[in-house]
Amino acid sequence: MPQEPQIIGMSKRRRNLFFWTLVLVFMFLLPAMIFYTTGYRLTFDNDTQTTVVTTTGGMYITTANLEVDVYLDEEQIKQPRLFRNAYYIQNIKSGQHRIVVQAPEVHTWVKELPVDSHIVIEAAAFNVPTTPRLRPITKYVTSGGSAVYQTATTSEAIFGTATATNAYVFATSSSVADFSINPEYEFVETLFGSSTATTTSVFSQFLRDMERFRFSSPEEQNISATATAPQIIERNNVELLSRGLELYAVWRGPADNVPFYFCVTNSNASTTAYRYGQHVADAIYATSTATSSPIFLIDDQTCRTEIKLDRLRQDVYLFDFYPGSSDLVLLQLEDGLYVTEIDDRAWQNIQPLYQGRDFRTIIANDIIYIEENGHFFEIIPEIES
Amino acid sequence: MSDDSHLLPYARRADFKVARANELTGADRRFYRFLEIVPGVASWATLIGIVWASIYASFFAAYFIIAFAIYWVLKTIFLSYHVRYNYKRLKHHMELDWGRLIERFKCDDYYHLIVFPYYQEPQAVLDDAMKGLVAANYDPKKLIVVLAAEERAGTEAVAQAYAIEKKYADQFGHFLVTVHPSDVVGEIAGKGSNVHHALHNVRAKVIDQEQIPYVKIITSIFDIDTVIYPDYFNCLMWHFMTAEQPLKSAYQPVPLFTNNLWEASAVSRVMAMSSTFWQMIMQERPEKAATFSSHSVSFQALYEIGYGQVNVVSEDSRIFWNLFLANDGDFEVVSLSYPIAMDAVTTGSLWGTIKNIYRQHRRWTYGVENWCYLVYHSTKNKNIPLRRRIVASVNMGEGFWSLVTNPIMLFILGWAPIFLGTREFHATVLSYELPIMVRNLLIIAMGGLVMSSIISLSLTPPRPEGYSRFHYIVMALQWIMVPITMIVFSAIPGLDAQTRLMLGRYMGFWVTPKRVQ
Repeated sequence: MPQEPQIIGMSKRRRNLFFWTLVLVFMFLLPAMIFYTTGYRLTFDNDTQTTVVTTTGGMYITTANLEVDVYLDEEQIKQPRLFRNAYYIQNIKSGQHRIVVQAPEVHTWVKELPVDSHIVIEAAAFNVPTTPRLRPITKYVTSGGSAVYQTATTSEAIFGTATATNAYVFATSSSVADFSINPEYEFVETLFGSSTATTTSVFSQFLRDMERFRFSSPEEQNISATATAPQIIERNNVELLSRGLELYAVWRGPADNVPFYFCVTNSNASTTAYRYGQHVADAIYATSTATSSPIFLIDDQTCRTEIKLDRLRQDVYLFDFYPGSSDLVLLQLEDGLYVTEIDDRAWQNIQPLYQGRDFRTIIANDIIYIEENGHFFEIIPEIES
Repeated sequence: MSDDSHLLPYARRADFKVARANELTGADRRFYRFLEIVPGVASWATLIGIVWASIYASFFAAYFIIAFAIYWVLKTIFLSYHVRYNYKRLKHHMELDWGRLIERFKCDDYYHLIVFPYYQEPQAVLDDAMKGLVAANYDPKKLIVVLAAEERAGTEAVAQAYAIEKKYADQFGHFLVTVHPSDVVGEIAGKGSNVHHALHNVRAKVIDQEQIPYVKIITSIFDIDTVIYPDYFNCLMWHFMTAEQPLKSAYQPVPLFTNNLWEASAVSRVMAMSSTFWQMIMQERPEKAATFSSHSVSFQALYEIGYGQVNVVSEDSRIFWNLFLANDGDFEVVSLSYPIAMDAVTTGSLWGTIKNIYRQHRRWTYGVENWCYLVYHSTKNKNIPLRRRIVASVNMGEGFWSLVTNPIMLFILGWAPIFLGTREFHATVLSYELPIMVRNLLIIAMGGLVMSSIISLSLTPPRPEGYSRFHYIVMALQWIMVPITMIVFSAIPGLDAQTRLMLGRYMGFWVTPKRVQ
């Protein structure tokens, strides 16, 4: 048995040594971490066989669809997401980069964006299903909740190229004793019954109003001006409006909160055209002299207040915000229902949600309803995870 | 006129046992009040400053947060190193035969005075404390046991003391029951005033009558839930006999809150073990330590300062600062690295436990009142070397500041620039890298929790019947709660306590109910 404890308290010298070692580690780590977090990287240059310090930027991509693959310059991004629906792509050298967001059974979203050192450029991707997904809304439903079609026709005739997301049955008998009334059907029927929407082109309406305006008396002009005030839809300080034969998204909020896609990095016209597209440069430099929608500067960015929406050179029968978003717009064109982004940097991605020429659309409570051939449907714009 | 000739010169000052600014007058009062305000202002200014910087100086705030996260990781490594080292020492000390180690010393004429202040704790708690003494590997006739009851606790609680006396008195050298009168002017109801009363009484009724030299008495002031390990007095004696200045040292064991660990909830266990780990760290940094909870000190030293204060909440630490200042800085903590067992906080319900842990930690963190006391007297007692005064004041101040601010800065405000930063900041790589960097650093820091988990399991008492092995898994995993417990039971109660002191809403003593009645 020892006469003294064998483990004595830690000596002050040892503690001091340990302490100052950690201080040294801190002194080394702090600048290293700050350089790293601001975008500096150590890379090995194969040509010169030396390690060099490079500067990088990043991309922040939000995706409306959770089950997607993200590619940067044809290389899949495998790093973990920052959040469930957001990718932060690090270590990107400055220059133009192509970002692709895709998944089976959805349309691919593609954008080409400029990345600058130390700066992260944002984009919001969306991918709507390639095959439209419809939820049938029928007058009667079974006790299990399935939609009931009182017709002898086939499902193809009802759904066309779309798929049904919910169960439905055909009832050949006219008896409805076994079914219950679907209150949603009554609601939707009322919606379409009271609406005149989507039977007339927005621009036809505009032109007709203009004609009427041209031949009217001054008194009538005032009445007409009120009656034909352009339709404006507002969400989160973004207004959608038709002006002339075009549709625009206009920012009405404070300058500090303007969405990222209204702004471009300060530079001259040719650089802006190279980085974001000629149409963006044109818009920026055309509006720079305008008084109605001037540009403004925030930090090192030049921002517009309005962006023209791509309508594929077709008439627009309906426009509204895509449910739950103020960055995406729903357009009913001549040949179908489309979703387009307001972001026009590089180009505007526009994806068909439902194809057809003879259907009506109403958006209520953030749900897209369509009526086609006397049938009502809800369009399900996402694929279940 | 009271005779204060036995007091050390500095302890004779009228303001030696000041507790609050309103007990002083003139410039002293204003200065002390200023000191009471400083900790709260410093903590609030830090927290608000981070928010302000996040909004108006986002880049600076981000750099600061990165620096702070690195600092936190290194601090975790630093503290974990101390815990691990002390764990080895603790285990080693628990294996030693201290009885044989003290054979070489002549300590037959030494007595151990053990004071157990209590309030309304259940009889079983008192019983366990006595059983611990009876089971000690030490001559029981050398033990003077004082059971210090409170009159305000009621006749039933006082009667418990006499029942215990009847049961155990003949097993010890001396046994005394004292009843601290209620509502004494100038006192706050609590452990400090009770102990003070008990020490007065035991000196008059036992020590002086038996003519035991004060220098031959080692006083252990134990919370009533303290159950000593068998070799505690031998270990204490060894350290007393080998201390550089035995009469100018306080002896600090490691409190293990293990008496009821199996009955305690996970959150209670985490907090209890966290407190143990902190004390283990302090065991390896005794020059930064003060006494905490149950501890021992020479009776002579206590007598020279007129015992502890009757008017403070954090009396267990204040007694050390009383001794430190009265002895002109020539007083230190000696680490025993030997455990004593105490109770973790438990009540009948989880919510009750959470509330009691919060209140317990608010009382502990109200120890910031000691900082005011230390700084105030540091400006008065010039006999203490200046460096020692500065180091002690800065250490304690930094401790209370970091206790409150660090968890909040790390786990909440670390993200502030991301949410509050300027648009310019949000567009930078720094803005996106910051949360990733902080998250990764925190994950590294969490590595310390793995060690905590392993050590806590090894310090856990054997599994009682009726508890499945599954409880071990829960005990291992419970440490993931640490980020939350650090905020809820350290930072917020600390901020609460500092804010009360800052606003002059002084706290009273609150007895922590630890065991279900």
